[in-house]
Amino acid sequence: MATLIEAQAASGASAATLRPQNRRNVRETLARYRWLLFLMLPGIIYFLLFRFWPMYGAQIAFRDYIPFLGIEGSPWVGWEHFETFFTNPDFPRLLRNTLILAALSLFIAFPLTIVMALLLNELRLNILKRTVQTLVYVPHFLSWTVVVSLTGLLFAIGNGPLWTLLNDVMGTETNFLADPAWFRPLIVLQDVWKNTGWGTIIFLAALAGVDQEQYEAAIIDGAGRWQRVWHITLPSIRSTIIVLLILQTGQILNTGFEQIYLMSNALNRTVADVFDTYVYFVGIQQGSYSYATAVGLAKAIVGVILIFGTNWLAKRFNQQGIF
Amino acid sequence: MTPRKRLRAPLAILTVTGLALTAACTSGGADDGGGEDGGDGDDALSSLSIMAPYFAAVPPEEDDLIDQALSELTGVDLSVQWVPNTAYGERTNVVLAGDDIPDVMVIQGKTQAFVQTAEAGGFWDLTDYLRSGDYPNLVSENPDVEEASGVNGRVFGIYRARDVIRHCIILRADWLANLGLEQPQTTDELFEVARAFTEDDPDGNGQDDTYGFINPAWPGSIGSNSPYDALELWHGAGNLWTDEGGELVPSFTTDEWMEAVLYERDLVQNGYTNPDYATMDPATWNEPFVNGQGGIIIDVQSRAPQLVDLFREQDPENFESYVALVGQPEGPNGTFAMPTSGYSGFLAIPRSSVETEEQLEQVLTVLNDLTSTEAQILLNNGIEGDNFTVVDDYAEFNPDRQDFTDQVTGAWAQLGMNVAGYNAYSTRPETPFDEGLAQLRLDLQAEDLENAVFNPGASLVSDTYMSSGTQLDTLISDARIQFIAGQIDEAGLQDVIDRWHSQGGDQVIAEMNELYSELG
Repeated sequence: MATLIEAQAASGASAATLRPQNRRNVRETLARYRWLLFLMLPGIIYFLLFRFWPMYGAQIAFRDYIPFLGIEGSPWVGWEHFETFFTNPDFPRLLRNTLILAALSLFIAFPLTIVMALLLNELRLNILKRTVQTLVYVPHFLSWTVVVSLTGLLFAIGNGPLWTLLNDVMGTETNFLADPAWFRPLIVLQDVWKNTGWGTIIFLAALAGVDQEQYEAAIIDGAGRWQRVWHITLPSIRSTIIVLLILQTGQILNTGFEQIYLMSNALNRTVADVFDTYVYFVGIQQGSYSYATAVGLAKAIVGVILIFGTNWLAKRFNQQGIF
Repeated sequence: MTPRKRLRAPLAILTVTGLALTAACTSGGADDGGGEDGGDGDDALSSLSIMAPYFAAVPPEEDDLIDQALSELTGVDLSVQWVPNTAYGERTNVVLAGDDIPDVMVIQGKTQAFVQTAEAGGFWDLTDYLRSGDYPNLVSENPDVEEASGVNGRVFGIYRARDVIRHCIILRADWLANLGLEQPQTTDELFEVARAFTEDDPDGNGQDDTYGFINPAWPGSIGSNSPYDALELWHGAGNLWTDEGGELVPSFTTDEWMEAVLYERDLVQNGYTNPDYATMDPATWNEPFVNGQGGIIIDVQSRAPQLVDLFREQDPENFESYVALVGQPEGPNGTFAMPTSGYSGFLAIPRSSVETEEQLEQVLTVLNDLTSTEAQILLNNGIEGDNFTVVDDYAEFNPDRQDFTDQVTGAWAQLGMNVAGYNAYSTRPETPFDEGLAQLRLDLQAEDLENAVFNPGASLVSDTYMSSGTQLDTLISDARIQFIAGQIDEAGLQDVIDRWHSQGGDQVIAEMNELYSELG
């Protein structure tokens, strides 16, 4: 991939002299790898159709899209929608809410996945390990609607078991579902409950690849459990952690629409409004398609910057990045 | 592998990719041609396609009994594109952007997409056609509603008529009787009933386990027929907009609105309302009422028979003694009743499929026929002698044909406009009690209609409101709940109202008043 791009760039730079030769090279390469390319075809078509073709529609962020006039018939408005968004009084609040939720997910939910994987890895009884593993995967398969309904039952005023327990312990009468101070803890709690188990899969796979002889050697040298985890296990899966961290950072602004939308209400909206719910609100409910697209596009650009940024950081600290 | 075969593979690849790309291009490309009728030019329509929502479990099949009967009645081959109601809004936008536009579309509301399309000339302006009297069944019996369904004085569709008065107060009749209370006739008496239902042990079990009002988390913002909207209107705040000396002002800027919001706050702060009013799922609204937790619901009248049915299951002997239906009360500043908008969407005619005036007149003739008494019975009741029979001027449905009846009431009825009056049969009530309840509903409707406060800005569409109205409205409805919950005080509420003004509200007021003075 990289060589191909470089080849094209080179051919663009000094066109006249290099082009014929390069063209032959490309043709030779194509001929040599034709069957591999053929195998790639379904993937390429998928990306063209479902990933690149829709980008054509992203231009409505720069137009005043009216469905009746179609994409091409709608008038151009330039950066107007972006300006409206960034100067919107809601913008700082949306950004703050999104970043706080993202940070909570990155610093609490993500490390917990690693801890959980390490704990599972330390289980020596195979049947126990398998059973626990399967059980912690289960919540992943429940939809957010179900998770939020369960939360609603557990925290129902007056008879929810968790509502009763927590209020008895704290000696308060808090309505957890409507109290803005409890919104973020609940979101993180749900996130951890639903996704931690599932997130361990990749780490467990990486852990399975660690050379067992290293442990045996360490035991002979007198290393305890903690020392083995710290000096052997964690360094072995370091690159996996970095790769997942980079990918996670790219998703940082995708706070998860469903969960937050379902958990928000009139009383906690000040902390619950994030970019995703805002896009739904103005795009789908209000029908300001262009404006919503502009917001979504701005969000995507921040996501790309974050991925490159983390990747650059990872490389700087002598780790392997993902590209 | 022979050389010839080797050649074929890349060719096949090229063809496949090419096909895929062409497919993608046509699906998203420009809208050339106007669907099946586009090529016909001036020719008269031989068939008529209508897009409509359905609520039934399964939509009617093409050319089912009703379709056949209607096609025969109107003289054109009718074909309906049924779209599930939950997906209707999205589908409308997709269809408007596409190139296969039906001849008639049910439009469910004046959304931004619709208004922009209409103003860009995407729909026929029907104002003069409907006033001409050429289509007697399409002449509205309620011109105010027709105007309200339009856009700034122009009518782009034939509205689907609904009862103008639907709101009422539903109370636990047995609790009133236990406490020796009269049915509340004023908002003050209503407050007193809420207090008594909370503090005076209305179910007589010796425990403090009841409350008065049951309010769910309302999915809409302001002016969306919520219990709060009703209480505010009863206090005299007006219906979304209020005419103050020829000037339109938003109802939430009036003193009466503040008075009503304080009343609502007292209800919550004193515990006379369910504690989960900010999070309760509206789908479970009946439960606290039937379980004996709460005793007051402000909602549409049709909830009363639903509740009666629930009590009928629970206590077949005494089911008649639980539900009291009371008309809208007198407020401290006068008697005001909350009406509905009187319509639920409208049938609009896109210009890209109905291209000429002759075709338009033909479509209007068909719609006129679809509003005749005969067609109304087909659309709302079904086929006499098949799925229903007429007994004492009521429709009595045949239980063996329930599936078919469900498709009639859950789908075909959605095509009903009934602007000149509803002439189909009503369902026969089960017992004399049900008949009494139905009669009471009609009486209360007639009584409240006299005091109905209509939204003076209903037909006006302001550009700023179209592009940011939802956000503006939500600002107010969220602040209202926060104020009622005690999260913000009066100054905080005023701050939000000021923000409403500065974030585009002032512009909305200016635009609305400009339109108001032009058309008023």
